[in-house]
Amino acid sequence: MNIKTYLSQKGAVPSEFIEKVKHIVGEENVSERECDLISYSLDYWLYGVALSQYGNLPSLPCAVISPKNREEIQGILRYANEYKVHITPFGGGSGVLGGAIPLDGSAILNLQRINRFICLDETSLVAEFEAGIIGANLERELNHRGYSLGNIPQSLHCSTLGGWIATRAAGQFSTKYGKIEDMVLGMEVVLPDGDLLDIKPVPRRSVGPSLKDLFLGGEGTLGIVTKAVVSVHPLPKGMAKQSFVFPSIEVALDVVRRILRGDAKPAVVRIFDEAESERYFEEIGNKVTVIFASEGEPDFVALESNVIRRIAEENGGEPMGENPVNIWIEKRFDIGLGPVIMQQGAVVDTIEVASLFKDAANLYEDMITSMNAVDGAVMVSGHFSHFYPEGACLYITFAGFPKDLFRYYEDTWTAAMQATSRNNGSISHHHGIGYWRKQFMQQELGVSGVELLRRIKFALDRNGILNRGKLVDDGR
Amino acid sequence: MMEDKKELEQITNCAMCANMCKYSCPTYLATGKETITPQKIARLILYKEKAFLEDQQGFFDVMFQSAMCGACKIHCIYDNYDLRKFIQRGRSKAFKEGMLPDETRKRVETFASFGNPHGERQLLQKGTGDLGYFVSCSAYNDQDLLKAMDRIISVGKKQIYQFGGADICCGAPLYYAGDTEGFEKAARKMKGEIENRKLRKVIADCPTCIKMMTEVYHEVGVDLDVEFVHTTEFLNSLLEEGKIKVKRRNATATFHDPCILANDLGVTAAPREILSALGFEIKEPVYSQEDTHCCGGLCGARIGDCGVADKVSTMRINELKETAADVYLSACPTCKAVLSDIDMKDIAELVSEQIIDE
Repeated sequence: MNIKTYLSQKGAVPSEFIEKVKHIVGEENVSERECDLISYSLDYWLYGVALSQYGNLPSLPCAVISPKNREEIQGILRYANEYKVHITPFGGGSGVLGGAIPLDGSAILNLQRINRFICLDETSLVAEFEAGIIGANLERELNHRGYSLGNIPQSLHCSTLGGWIATRAAGQFSTKYGKIEDMVLGMEVVLPDGDLLDIKPVPRRSVGPSLKDLFLGGEGTLGIVTKAVVSVHPLPKGMAKQSFVFPSIEVALDVVRRILRGDAKPAVVRIFDEAESERYFEEIGNKVTVIFASEGEPDFVALESNVIRRIAEENGGEPMGENPVNIWIEKRFDIGLGPVIMQQGAVVDTIEVASLFKDAANLYEDMITSMNAVDGAVMVSGHFSHFYPEGACLYITFAGFPKDLFRYYEDTWTAAMQATSRNNGSISHHHGIGYWRKQFMQQELGVSGVELLRRIKFALDRNGILNRGKLVDDGR
Repeated sequence: MMEDKKELEQITNCAMCANMCKYSCPTYLATGKETITPQKIARLILYKEKAFLEDQQGFFDVMFQSAMCGACKIHCIYDNYDLRKFIQRGRSKAFKEGMLPDETRKRVETFASFGNPHGERQLLQKGTGDLGYFVSCSAYNDQDLLKAMDRIISVGKKQIYQFGGADICCGAPLYYAGDTEGFEKAARKMKGEIENRKLRKVIADCPTCIKMMTEVYHEVGVDLDVEFVHTTEFLNSLLEEGKIKVKRRNATATFHDPCILANDLGVTAAPREILSALGFEIKEPVYSQEDTHCCGGLCGARIGDCGVADKVSTMRINELKETAADVYLSACPTCKAVLSDIDMKDIAELVSEQIIDE
C-alpha cells in the first residue's frame, strides 16, 4: 500500500474475530480491502483533510464492520472484548476534531446502515429515528409530514443523528430550538460490553443523575447510540428576517443580550465581525452586522420582530433589511472555498468556544489577536451564534499559509485555547473533543475532572475497546 | 484519468469536500457504505491517479457500484462539476484492462453480436412522416407501453414514424461499460439510422437514450441535427393542444421521477401536468423531482454491480409504497421493469386508458 500514515499504524486483527463477526453481519459487511480502509481512515478533521490530498492519512483501520441493527452491534462488541479488538464508531464522518479516526489499529464500526425513520407521534411531538440517519434525510422525513427537528448544522447534509448526540451538536437555529441535548428525550444504547441500555422518552425525570447525559457528548467512548427519540416542531407558518449594523462587537453583543432579556427567542441570531461581514455581505462591507430570523406562528413572529427592531434601533442599530439574512441563508452550507485554498498549501479550520456575556467581547478580541500573531496566519475572523440569556458561542474561522503546516496549526489552536482560558470560556460549544482537542481537556476540566471522566470511561469499558485515543482516553 | 490541471483541481476539491451531497446518493443510502459516497469515490480516483492506490480490482469494483444517476451533480456545492465524468473514465480503464463485472461483460458481448444489449430482435418500423418515435431497447418487449403509444398516436391523429428493435440502439450500455470506442461506433450508427429516415424530431420513451443523443454523443464527436423530446413532454403537449381528450379519474397517483429524466433532462413538471389533466391527486414520495432516487436499473442493461443495484431498487420500492397511492407510475421503461413489485405503469399507459376515442 502506498498510503502513508502519521498518527498510528494499521493494526492486525485476529482472523478468528473476523470470522466470528462475519458470521454475525454477513461476509459482505466485513471488509479488509484497501478502498474501504482508505474511505474510513479520516473524518472531517481539517488538518487531516489538508494532508489527505498527498496520500497522507492519519491512520488506517484494520477492518470495516457494517452492522444493520443493535443485535449485531451487541454481538460485535462482545467479540471485540473477547479478542481485545479496538472499535472506532463511524457515523457520517463529518466530525472536525478527528473523533472517528481509527487510532491504534482499531476496526471501524460503520453505523450508516442503521439509518431508518421509525415513527412520528404527532400528539406528543416526538419522532424516533435510527442513529445512523443523515441530518438532511431526517429533516426530509419530518418536513414531508409537516414537522422539523430544528437542528440545522452546517453539516446537515453529511452528519448523522448519532454523531450529533455523540458531540452535543448545535444547529444554526439553536437560539430558538436549543442544542441536540435539549431535543433528545430517549435513546437506545449498546454499552461497551454488549449490554443494552434503553432510556425511555419522557419530557423530564427525577431518577438520579441523567444517564442520557453520559452519551450526549460521549463521543463513542462510552457506548453506541443506535436509536433516539427526539422532540419535533410543526413547520413554522411564518418567518421574519431583519438585520442591523452596529459600531462594534461589544455594542452588538449588548443589544442581543437585551433582546433575549426581553423574552424574544429568534431562531437565528448571528453577529458577524467586520471581516466576516465583508465576506458575506458585499453591500454592507467592513461593518459589524447582526442578522435575526424569527419563525413560528405569524402573530408571535410579528411581535418578536417588533421587540427586536425596537431594542436594536434604541441602541444604535442601523436597519439593513432582509437581504443580508437571505444572503446568509443562501450561502450557509457553502464550504467550497476550503478545499480550493488547501490545494494551494493552506490549512483552514474553525474553533467554537462558549462564554458568558460579561466575557464575550474580551474573549473575541483576545482570540483574534492571539491567533493572528501566529507565524503563517493570513486570516482570522469570527461570528457569535447560538445565543442564550447568559451568553453565546464564539465561532472563529482561520487560515494560514505556513512553511510548517503542523507547527502553525498547533500554535494557532494553542493560542486560541489559551485565550479562551484567560477569558473564562469553555473550550468547545458544539464540535466536541475528538482526537485533536483532547490535549486541552485538563485546561477545561482540571486534573480531577479529567480523572473522573476516565474512571467513568473505564468503569463502563473495562477493556478500553471503544474509540481509543479520544475524549479522555489515552489508551492503556 | 485527468486530462488537465483543471480536472485535477476539480477532483481534488471533491475529494476534500465534506461530502455535502452524500445524503442524496441512492447507492449510499441503500447500502450505508462510505466507500461509495461521492467524496470517497473522488478520493479513490485521486489516489488512483497519483498511484497511492494498489488494489486495482477493488478500485474498478467501486467504479461500477455507482448508479450514475447524477444526484451528486444536482446537489454539488461546486458549479460545472459532474463526478460521473471521472467515474466513467475509471470504467473505461476497467474495460481496457479487461476487468469488467461479469454481468456487464456478458452484456457487452451480447451487444457485439446483436448490436443491442438484449440479443436477437425483429426490426420495428411503421408509420410515416418526419416526426419519429424511437422505441428504446427497454421498451422493445413492453407490449403494454407500445400498445398505449399506438393508441395515443392513432387517436391523436399524428403522423409518426415508429422505429427500433433489431440492432438500433443508442449505445448507452457500451458507454456505461466503459467501451468508448464501441460507443462511438454505436453513436455513428444511430446517427445514420435517424438521418436515413430523414427525421426532424424524435420522441423517445427512455431518458437515457435522450441523454446519450443530446449530450454524450457530442463528447465523442457525433452531433445530430434533430430535436428530441421525451414521451411525457409529447403527451403533455397533446393534452395542452387538445389533440387528445381524456376522462378524469378520482384517484391518487404517485409518480416516480426517473433519475436521468429529472437530473439530466430537467423534466419534472410534464408528468405532473399530465396527472393533473387526468384528474389524479398526486401523492409525492419523500424523495421526488430533483431529489428523486434512482430505481437501481443500472442504465437499463444491468451495467454495473447488480448486488448494489438490487438494494437501491428495494429502497426505492419501499419509498414509493409509503405513499399508499392507487396507482404508481413512471416514465422510463427500465424504471417500470425494475420497480414491477408495486405494479408500476408507464404514464403513457395511463393516458391511453383514460383517452376518449371520439
